[in-house]
Amino acid sequence: MPIPFDESRPIFQQIAERIEDDILNGTYAEEDQIISTTQFSRIFQINPATIVKGFGLLVNEDIIYKKRGLGMYVAVGAKEKIMAKRRERFYSDLVVKLLEEAEKLGMTTEDVIQMIQREKEEQRK
Amino acid sequence: MSSVLEVRQVSKAYGRTDAVDSLNMDLAEHTIYGLLGRNGAGKTTFLNMITGGIFPDGGEIAVHGNLLKKGDVPTQTCYIREKNFYPNNARVRDVLQMAAAFHPDWDAKFASKLLGTFKLNPRKKMRQLSRGMESMVGNLIGLASRAPLTIFDEPVLGLDVLMRERFYRMLIEDYAEHPRTILLSTHLIDEIATVVEQVFIMESGSILMHEEVEQIRDRAHMISGLGAGLDHFLQGRRVIHGERYGNAGMAVVYGELTEHDHREAASQGLTIEGVPLQKFFAYLIEEGQTDE
Repeated sequence: MPIPFDESRPIFQQIAERIEDDILNGTYAEEDQIISTTQFSRIFQINPATIVKGFGLLVNEDIIYKKRGLGMYVAVGAKEKIMAKRRERFYSDLVVKLLEEAEKLGMTTEDVIQMIQREKEEQRK
Repeated sequence: MSSVLEVRQVSKAYGRTDAVDSLNMDLAEHTIYGLLGRNGAGKTTFLNMITGGIFPDGGEIAVHGNLLKKGDVPTQTCYIREKNFYPNNARVRDVLQMAAAFHPDWDAKFASKLLGTFKLNPRKKMRQLSRGMESMVGNLIGLASRAPLTIFDEPVLGLDVLMRERFYRMLIEDYAEHPRTILLSTHLIDEIATVVEQVFIMESGSILMHEEVEQIRDRAHMISGLGAGLDHFLQGRRVIHGERYGNAGMAVVYGELTEHDHREAASQGLTIEGVPLQKFFAYLIEEGQTDE
Protein backbone atom coordinates (compact mmCIF):
# COMPACT_ATOMS: atom_id res chain seq x y z
CA MET A 1 0.00 0.00 0.00
CA PRO A 2 1.36 3.45 -0.84
CA ILE A 3 1.43 4.92 2.62
CA PRO A 4 4.49 7.11 3.11
CA PHE A 5 3.05 8.29 6.41
CA ASP A 6 3.88 7.48 9.99
CA GLU A 7 0.89 5.45 11.16
CA SER A 8 1.45 6.22 14.81
CA ARG A 9 0.67 9.94 14.68
CA PRO A 10 -2.22 11.86 13.09
CA ILE A 11 -2.02 11.75 9.32
CA PHE A 12 -3.72 15.11 8.76
CA GLN A 13 -0.73 16.81 10.39
CA GLN A 14 1.64 14.92 8.15
CA ILE A 15 -0.39 15.95 5.11
CA ALA A 16 -0.06 19.61 6.14
CA GLU A 17 3.71 19.15 6.65
CA ARG A 18 4.02 17.56 3.24
CA ILE A 19 2.37 20.54 1.53
CA GLU A 20 4.57 22.87 3.59
CA ASP A 21 7.67 20.97 2.45
CA ASP A 22 6.54 21.35 -1.15
CA ILE A 23 6.18 25.10 -0.66
CA LEU A 24 9.62 25.32 1.00
CA ASN A 25 11.41 23.33 -1.71
CA GLY A 26 9.77 25.30 -4.50
CA THR A 27 7.41 22.64 -5.86
CA TYR A 28 4.68 25.24 -5.35
CA ALA A 29 5.27 28.97 -5.69
CA GLU A 30 2.99 31.65 -4.27
CA GLU A 31 -0.37 31.75 -6.03
CA ASP A 32 0.19 28.26 -7.46
CA GLN A 33 -2.67 25.82 -7.28
CA ILE A 34 -1.88 22.83 -5.05
CA ILE A 35 -2.99 19.22 -5.50
CA SER A 36 -6.74 18.72 -5.00
CA THR A 37 -8.11 16.75 -2.07
CA THR A 38 -9.54 14.20 -4.50
CA GLN A 39 -6.17 13.67 -6.21
CA PHE A 40 -4.36 13.48 -2.89
CA SER A 41 -6.93 11.02 -1.60
CA ARG A 42 -6.62 8.82 -4.67
CA ILE A 43 -2.83 8.81 -4.88
CA PHE A 44 -2.25 8.00 -1.22
CA GLN A 45 -5.49 6.10 -0.59
CA ILE A 46 -6.45 8.26 2.33
CA ASN A 47 -9.97 9.14 3.38
CA PRO A 48 -10.91 12.53 1.84
CA ALA A 49 -12.04 13.84 5.25
CA THR A 50 -8.49 13.41 6.56
CA ILE A 51 -7.08 15.41 3.64
CA VAL A 52 -9.66 18.16 4.13
CA LYS A 53 -8.63 18.36 7.77
CA GLY A 54 -4.94 18.61 6.83
CA PHE A 55 -5.61 21.36 4.31
CA GLY A 56 -7.79 23.06 6.93
CA LEU A 57 -4.75 23.44 9.21
CA LEU A 58 -2.95 25.35 6.45
CA VAL A 59 -5.99 27.48 5.64
CA ASN A 60 -6.20 28.52 9.30
CA GLU A 61 -2.59 29.62 9.22
CA ASP A 62 -3.09 31.56 5.95
CA ILE A 63 -0.58 29.35 4.17
CA ILE A 64 -3.09 28.26 1.54
CA TYR A 65 -6.48 29.67 0.61
CA LYS A 66 -9.52 28.50 -1.27
CA LYS A 67 -10.64 29.96 -4.57
CA ARG A 68 -14.29 29.14 -4.88
CA GLY A 69 -14.97 26.43 -7.41
CA LEU A 70 -11.31 26.25 -8.43
CA GLY A 71 -9.32 24.72 -5.59
CA MET A 72 -6.60 25.54 -3.10
CA TYR A 73 -3.84 28.07 -3.80
CA VAL A 74 -0.60 29.01 -2.04
CA ALA A 75 -1.02 32.34 -0.21
CA VAL A 76 1.33 35.28 -0.67
CA GLY A 77 3.93 35.17 2.11
CA ALA A 78 3.33 31.45 2.77
CA LYS A 79 6.98 30.52 2.53
CA GLU A 80 8.05 33.10 5.12
CA LYS A 81 5.31 31.95 7.48
CA ILE A 82 6.40 28.34 7.21
CA MET A 83 10.05 29.26 7.71
CA ALA A 84 9.27 31.33 10.81
CA LYS A 85 7.22 28.47 12.26
CA ARG A 86 9.89 25.90 11.47
CA ARG A 87 12.65 28.04 12.96
CA GLU A 88 10.79 28.07 16.24
CA ARG A 89 10.40 24.33 16.07
CA PHE A 90 14.06 23.98 15.11
CA TYR A 91 14.91 25.55 18.43
CA SER A 92 12.54 23.50 20.61
CA ASP A 93 12.86 20.18 18.76
CA LEU A 94 16.48 20.18 17.75
CA VAL A 95 18.57 22.67 19.71
CA VAL A 96 17.06 21.89 23.11
CA LYS A 97 17.26 18.12 22.50
CA LEU A 98 20.80 18.41 21.17
CA LEU A 99 21.98 20.12 24.34
CA GLU A 100 20.09 17.69 26.58
CA GLU A 101 21.74 14.75 24.87
CA ALA A 102 25.14 16.48 25.04
CA GLU A 103 24.72 16.95 28.76
CA LYS A 104 23.88 13.26 29.22
CA LEU A 105 27.13 12.43 27.46
CA GLY A 106 29.15 14.86 29.57
CA MET A 107 29.79 17.26 26.71
CA THR A 108 29.96 21.01 27.22
CA THR A 109 28.20 23.56 25.02
CA GLU A 110 31.68 24.55 23.82
CA ASP A 111 32.30 20.94 22.64
CA VAL A 112 29.06 21.02 20.68
CA ILE A 113 29.86 24.34 19.03
CA GLN A 114 33.30 23.07 18.02
CA MET A 115 31.72 19.95 16.52
CA ILE A 116 29.33 22.07 14.48
CA GLN A 117 32.16 24.27 13.23
CA ARG A 118 34.27 21.25 12.33
CA GLU A 119 31.39 19.74 10.36
CA LYS A 120 30.80 23.03 8.55
CA GLU A 121 34.46 23.15 7.53
CA GLU A 122 34.34 19.54 6.33
CA GLN A 123 31.37 20.41 4.17
CA ARG A 124 33.15 23.40 2.64
CA LYS A 125 36.06 21.26 1.45
CA MET B 1 -26.89 15.21 9.99
CA SER B 2 -29.48 12.50 9.49
CA SER B 3 -28.78 9.04 10.79
CA VAL B 4 -28.22 6.24 8.31
CA LEU B 5 -28.22 3.48 10.89
CA GLU B 6 -29.41 3.47 14.48
CA VAL B 7 -28.90 0.38 16.59
CA ARG B 8 -30.22 0.30 20.15
CA GLN B 9 -29.40 -2.43 22.68
CA VAL B 10 -29.41 -5.19 20.09
CA SER B 11 -28.70 -8.73 21.29
CA LYS B 12 -28.55 -12.15 19.76
CA ALA B 13 -27.75 -15.41 21.49
CA TYR B 14 -27.04 -18.81 20.04
CA GLY B 15 -27.83 -21.31 22.74
CA ARG B 16 -26.04 -20.01 25.80
CA THR B 17 -23.51 -17.82 24.03
CA ASP B 18 -24.25 -14.17 23.39
CA ALA B 19 -23.04 -13.54 19.85
CA VAL B 20 -24.07 -9.90 20.14
CA ASP B 21 -24.73 -8.33 23.51
CA SER B 22 -26.73 -5.06 24.00
CA LEU B 23 -24.94 -3.35 21.16
CA ASN B 24 -25.44 0.30 20.20
CA MET B 25 -24.26 1.91 16.99
CA ASP B 26 -24.97 5.08 15.05
CA LEU B 27 -23.78 5.63 11.51
CA ALA B 28 -23.96 9.08 9.95
CA GLU B 29 -24.18 10.13 6.32
CA HIS B 30 -21.08 10.33 4.13
CA THR B 31 -18.62 8.52 6.34
CA ILE B 32 -16.50 5.40 5.92
CA TYR B 33 -16.49 3.27 9.06
CA GLY B 34 -14.41 0.28 10.01
CA LEU B 35 -15.86 -2.54 12.11
CA LEU B 36 -12.84 -4.24 13.59
CA GLY B 37 -12.59 -7.38 15.58
CA ARG B 38 -11.14 -10.84 15.61
CA ASN B 39 -12.83 -13.79 13.98
CA GLY B 40 -15.73 -14.81 16.21
CA ALA B 41 -16.16 -11.37 17.80
CA GLY B 42 -19.74 -11.24 16.50
CA LYS B 43 -19.23 -8.99 13.49
CA THR B 44 -21.04 -11.14 10.94
CA THR B 45 -23.98 -11.88 13.26
CA PHE B 46 -24.33 -8.15 13.80
CA LEU B 47 -24.18 -7.40 10.06
CA ASN B 48 -26.77 -10.09 9.35
CA MET B 49 -29.10 -8.40 11.83
CA ILE B 50 -28.81 -4.88 10.45
CA THR B 51 -29.42 -6.19 6.93
CA GLY B 52 -32.49 -8.21 7.88
CA GLY B 53 -30.99 -11.68 7.49
CA ILE B 54 -31.62 -12.65 11.09
CA PHE B 55 -33.85 -11.01 13.66
CA PRO B 56 -32.42 -9.90 17.01
CA ASP B 57 -33.62 -11.36 20.32
CA GLY B 58 -33.91 -7.86 21.69
CA GLY B 59 -33.32 -4.24 20.80
CA GLU B 60 -34.15 -2.03 17.83
CA ILE B 61 -32.59 -1.35 14.46
CA ALA B 62 -33.52 1.57 12.20
CA VAL B 63 -32.06 1.94 8.71
CA HIS B 64 -32.52 5.33 7.02
CA GLY B 65 -35.01 6.14 9.77
CA ASN B 66 -37.20 3.05 9.20
CA LEU B 67 -37.55 0.59 12.04
CA LEU B 68 -36.63 -2.89 10.84
CA LYS B 69 -39.42 -5.42 11.42
CA LYS B 70 -39.16 -9.19 11.25
CA GLY B 71 -38.73 -10.30 7.65
CA ASP B 72 -37.89 -6.78 6.42
CA VAL B 73 -34.93 -6.18 4.18
CA PRO B 74 -33.72 -2.58 4.52
CA THR B 75 -33.99 -0.38 1.42
CA GLN B 76 -31.10 1.59 -0.08
CA THR B 77 -28.67 -0.82 1.48
CA CYS B 78 -26.14 -3.08 -0.18
CA TYR B 79 -24.63 -5.90 1.86
CA ILE B 80 -21.69 -7.81 0.42
CA ARG B 81 -21.22 -10.96 2.43
CA GLU B 82 -17.95 -12.67 3.03
CA LYS B 83 -19.37 -15.69 1.24
CA ASN B 84 -21.42 -14.99 -1.86
CA PHE B 85 -24.57 -16.92 -2.63
CA TYR B 86 -24.69 -16.37 -6.36
CA PRO B 87 -26.08 -19.17 -8.53
CA ASN B 88 -23.18 -21.33 -9.72
CA ASN B 89 -24.38 -21.59 -13.28
CA ALA B 90 -25.02 -17.87 -13.72
CA ARG B 91 -22.52 -15.86 -15.69
CA VAL B 92 -20.84 -12.84 -14.16
CA ARG B 93 -22.90 -10.48 -16.35
CA ASP B 94 -26.15 -12.17 -15.23
CA VAL B 95 -25.19 -11.72 -11.59
CA LEU B 96 -24.49 -8.04 -12.26
CA GLN B 97 -27.84 -7.68 -14.01
CA MET B 98 -29.62 -9.16 -10.99
CA ALA B 99 -27.74 -6.81 -8.67
CA ALA B 100 -28.63 -3.84 -10.89
CA ALA B 101 -32.33 -4.67 -10.50
CA PHE B 102 -31.99 -4.60 -6.70
CA HIS B 103 -30.14 -1.32 -6.38
CA PRO B 104 -31.83 1.87 -7.62
CA ASP B 105 -28.56 3.85 -7.61
CA TRP B 106 -26.70 1.24 -9.70
CA ASP B 107 -24.23 2.75 -12.17
CA ALA B 108 -23.90 0.42 -15.18
CA LYS B 109 -21.06 2.40 -16.74
CA PHE B 110 -19.05 2.27 -13.55
CA ALA B 111 -19.79 -1.46 -13.26
CA SER B 112 -18.35 -2.18 -16.70
CA LYS B 113 -15.31 -0.05 -15.95
CA LEU B 114 -14.77 -2.09 -12.76
CA LEU B 115 -14.98 -5.35 -14.72
CA GLY B 116 -11.84 -4.20 -16.50
CA THR B 117 -10.09 -2.89 -13.39
CA PHE B 118 -10.78 -6.10 -11.49
CA LYS B 119 -9.93 -8.27 -14.53
CA LEU B 120 -13.26 -10.10 -14.52
CA ASN B 121 -14.62 -11.76 -17.63
CA PRO B 122 -18.39 -11.11 -17.78
CA ARG B 123 -18.97 -14.25 -19.85
CA LYS B 124 -17.44 -16.58 -17.25
CA LYS B 125 -19.72 -18.68 -15.09
CA MET B 126 -19.58 -18.10 -11.34
CA ARG B 127 -18.42 -21.66 -10.68
CA GLN B 128 -15.44 -21.11 -12.98
CA LEU B 129 -14.13 -18.29 -10.83
CA SER B 130 -11.42 -18.60 -8.21
CA ARG B 131 -12.24 -17.65 -4.62
CA GLY B 132 -10.56 -14.28 -5.08
CA MET B 133 -12.38 -13.51 -8.32
CA GLU B 134 -15.68 -14.43 -6.71
CA SER B 135 -14.96 -11.92 -3.93
CA MET B 136 -14.17 -9.31 -6.55
CA VAL B 137 -17.60 -9.82 -8.15
CA GLY B 138 -19.11 -9.04 -4.75
CA ASN B 139 -16.85 -6.02 -4.29
CA LEU B 140 -17.78 -4.77 -7.75
CA ILE B 141 -21.47 -5.00 -6.85
CA GLY B 142 -20.88 -3.17 -3.59
CA LEU B 143 -19.15 -0.31 -5.37
CA ALA B 144 -21.42 -0.06 -8.42
CA SER B 145 -24.56 -0.20 -6.25
CA ARG B 146 -23.69 3.27 -4.90
CA ALA B 147 -26.14 2.37 -2.12
CA PRO B 148 -26.47 5.08 0.56
CA LEU B 149 -25.51 2.36 3.06
CA THR B 150 -22.97 -0.13 1.72
CA ILE B 151 -21.62 -2.88 3.94
CA PHE B 152 -18.66 -5.12 3.13
CA ASP B 153 -17.89 -8.15 5.29
CA GLU B 154 -14.19 -9.07 5.00
CA PRO B 155 -13.96 -7.75 1.42
CA VAL B 156 -10.31 -8.58 0.80
CA LEU B 157 -10.18 -12.10 2.23
CA GLY B 158 -8.47 -14.41 -0.26
CA LEU B 159 -7.38 -11.58 -2.54
CA ASP B 160 -3.81 -11.05 -3.68
CA VAL B 161 -2.03 -7.81 -2.89
CA LEU B 162 -2.70 -6.28 -6.30
CA MET B 163 -6.45 -6.86 -6.11
CA ARG B 164 -6.65 -5.59 -2.53
CA GLU B 165 -4.91 -2.46 -3.64
CA ARG B 166 -7.27 -2.02 -6.58
CA PHE B 167 -10.34 -2.52 -4.42
CA TYR B 168 -9.26 0.10 -1.86
CA ARG B 169 -8.24 2.50 -4.61
CA MET B 170 -11.57 2.24 -6.42
CA LEU B 171 -13.43 2.54 -3.12
CA ILE B 172 -11.66 5.77 -2.14
CA GLU B 173 -11.81 7.18 -5.65
CA ASP B 174 -15.52 6.56 -6.05
CA TYR B 175 -16.33 7.66 -2.52
CA ALA B 176 -14.63 11.02 -3.14
CA GLU B 177 -17.04 11.68 -5.99
CA HIS B 178 -20.09 9.90 -4.61
CA PRO B 179 -19.99 10.16 -0.82
CA ARG B 180 -22.13 7.64 1.03
CA THR B 181 -22.01 5.59 4.21
CA ILE B 182 -19.71 2.60 3.99
CA LEU B 183 -19.09 0.03 6.70
CA LEU B 184 -16.04 -2.19 6.25
CA SER B 185 -15.91 -5.18 8.54
CA THR B 186 -12.48 -6.73 8.81
CA HIS B 187 -9.81 -8.09 11.08
CA LEU B 188 -7.08 -6.56 8.87
CA ILE B 189 -6.66 -3.26 10.64
CA ASP B 190 -3.58 -1.86 8.94
CA GLU B 191 -5.03 -2.08 5.47
CA ILE B 192 -8.07 0.05 6.18
CA ALA B 193 -6.42 2.43 8.64
CA THR B 194 -6.13 5.33 6.20
CA VAL B 195 -9.32 4.52 4.31
CA VAL B 196 -11.78 4.71 7.20
CA GLU B 197 -12.63 7.80 9.19
CA GLN B 198 -13.99 6.12 12.31
CA VAL B 199 -13.70 2.67 13.79
CA PHE B 200 -15.81 0.46 16.00
CA ILE B 201 -13.77 -2.15 17.80
CA MET B 202 -15.79 -5.23 18.60
CA GLU B 203 -14.96 -8.04 20.99
CA SER B 204 -17.20 -10.75 22.48
CA GLY B 205 -20.35 -9.22 20.99
CA SER B 206 -19.80 -5.71 22.36
CA ILE B 207 -18.23 -2.49 21.13
CA LEU B 208 -15.01 -1.88 23.06
CA MET B 209 -14.30 1.47 21.47
CA HIS B 210 -15.78 3.86 18.94
CA GLU B 211 -13.40 6.59 17.84
CA GLU B 212 -11.99 8.58 14.96
CA VAL B 213 -8.86 6.89 13.67
CA GLU B 214 -6.95 10.17 13.73
CA GLN B 215 -7.98 10.63 17.35
CA ILE B 216 -6.53 7.23 18.22
CA ARG B 217 -3.27 8.12 16.49
CA ASP B 218 -3.19 11.26 18.59
CA ARG B 219 -4.06 9.61 21.90
CA ALA B 220 -2.30 6.25 21.87
CA HIS B 221 1.15 6.49 23.40
CA MET B 222 3.83 4.12 24.44
CA ILE B 223 5.76 5.29 27.48
CA SER B 224 8.95 3.67 28.63
CA GLY B 225 11.60 4.26 31.24
CA LEU B 226 12.47 3.40 34.81
CA GLY B 227 9.75 1.76 36.89
CA ALA B 228 9.46 4.33 39.69
CA GLY B 229 9.10 7.33 37.37
CA LEU B 230 6.82 5.33 35.12
CA ASP B 231 4.46 4.35 37.96
CA HIS B 232 4.19 7.96 39.03
CA PHE B 233 3.46 9.15 35.50
CA LEU B 234 0.82 6.48 34.91
CA GLN B 235 -1.28 7.49 37.92
CA GLY B 236 -4.79 8.46 36.86
CA ARG B 237 -4.23 7.52 33.24
CA ARG B 238 -5.91 4.84 31.17
CA VAL B 239 -3.30 2.13 30.90
CA ILE B 240 -4.12 -0.38 28.16
CA HIS B 241 -1.06 -2.53 28.49
CA GLY B 242 2.05 -2.71 30.62
CA GLU B 243 5.23 -4.70 30.80
CA ARG B 244 8.17 -4.80 33.20
CA TYR B 245 11.72 -5.88 32.66
CA GLY B 246 14.13 -5.47 35.56
CA ASN B 247 13.57 -2.04 37.06
CA ALA B 248 12.47 -0.60 33.73
CA GLY B 249 9.14 -0.94 31.98
CA MET B 250 6.82 0.21 29.26
CA ALA B 251 3.14 1.02 29.18
CA VAL B 252 0.60 1.81 26.51
CA VAL B 253 -1.72 4.61 27.61
CA TYR B 254 -4.74 6.14 25.96
CA GLY B 255 -5.48 9.82 26.40
CA GLU B 256 -4.34 13.27 25.44
CA LEU B 257 -0.91 14.34 26.66
CA THR B 258 -0.41 18.04 27.31
CA GLU B 259 2.80 20.06 26.95
CA HIS B 260 3.05 19.77 30.72
CA ASP B 261 2.78 15.96 30.57
CA HIS B 262 5.56 15.85 28.00
CA ARG B 263 7.82 17.99 30.19
CA GLU B 264 7.03 15.88 33.25
CA ALA B 265 7.86 12.71 31.34
CA ALA B 266 11.12 14.19 30.09
CA SER B 267 12.13 15.22 33.60
CA GLN B 268 11.54 11.63 34.78
CA GLY B 269 13.67 10.32 31.91
CA LEU B 270 10.67 8.71 30.24
CA THR B 271 10.32 8.41 26.48
CA ILE B 272 6.99 8.88 24.73
CA GLU B 273 6.35 7.30 21.37
CA GLY B 274 3.36 6.69 19.13
CA VAL B 275 1.81 3.23 18.90
CA PRO B 276 1.10 1.55 15.57
CA LEU B 277 -2.66 1.03 15.28
CA GLN B 278 -2.47 -2.73 14.84
CA LYS B 279 -0.56 -2.99 18.10
CA PHE B 280 -2.92 -0.65 19.89
CA PHE B 281 -5.98 -2.68 18.86
CA ALA B 282 -4.32 -5.92 19.89
CA TYR B 283 -3.56 -4.50 23.35
CA LEU B 284 -7.07 -3.08 23.66
CA ILE B 285 -8.71 -6.41 22.83
CA GLU B 286 -6.37 -8.21 25.22
CA GLU B 287 -7.31 -5.73 27.96
CA GLY B 288 -11.01 -6.36 27.23
CA GLN B 289 -10.49 -10.05 27.76
CA THR B 290 -8.74 -9.85 31.10
CA ASP B 291 -11.70 -7.79 32.33
CA GLU B 292 -14.08 -10.69 31.80
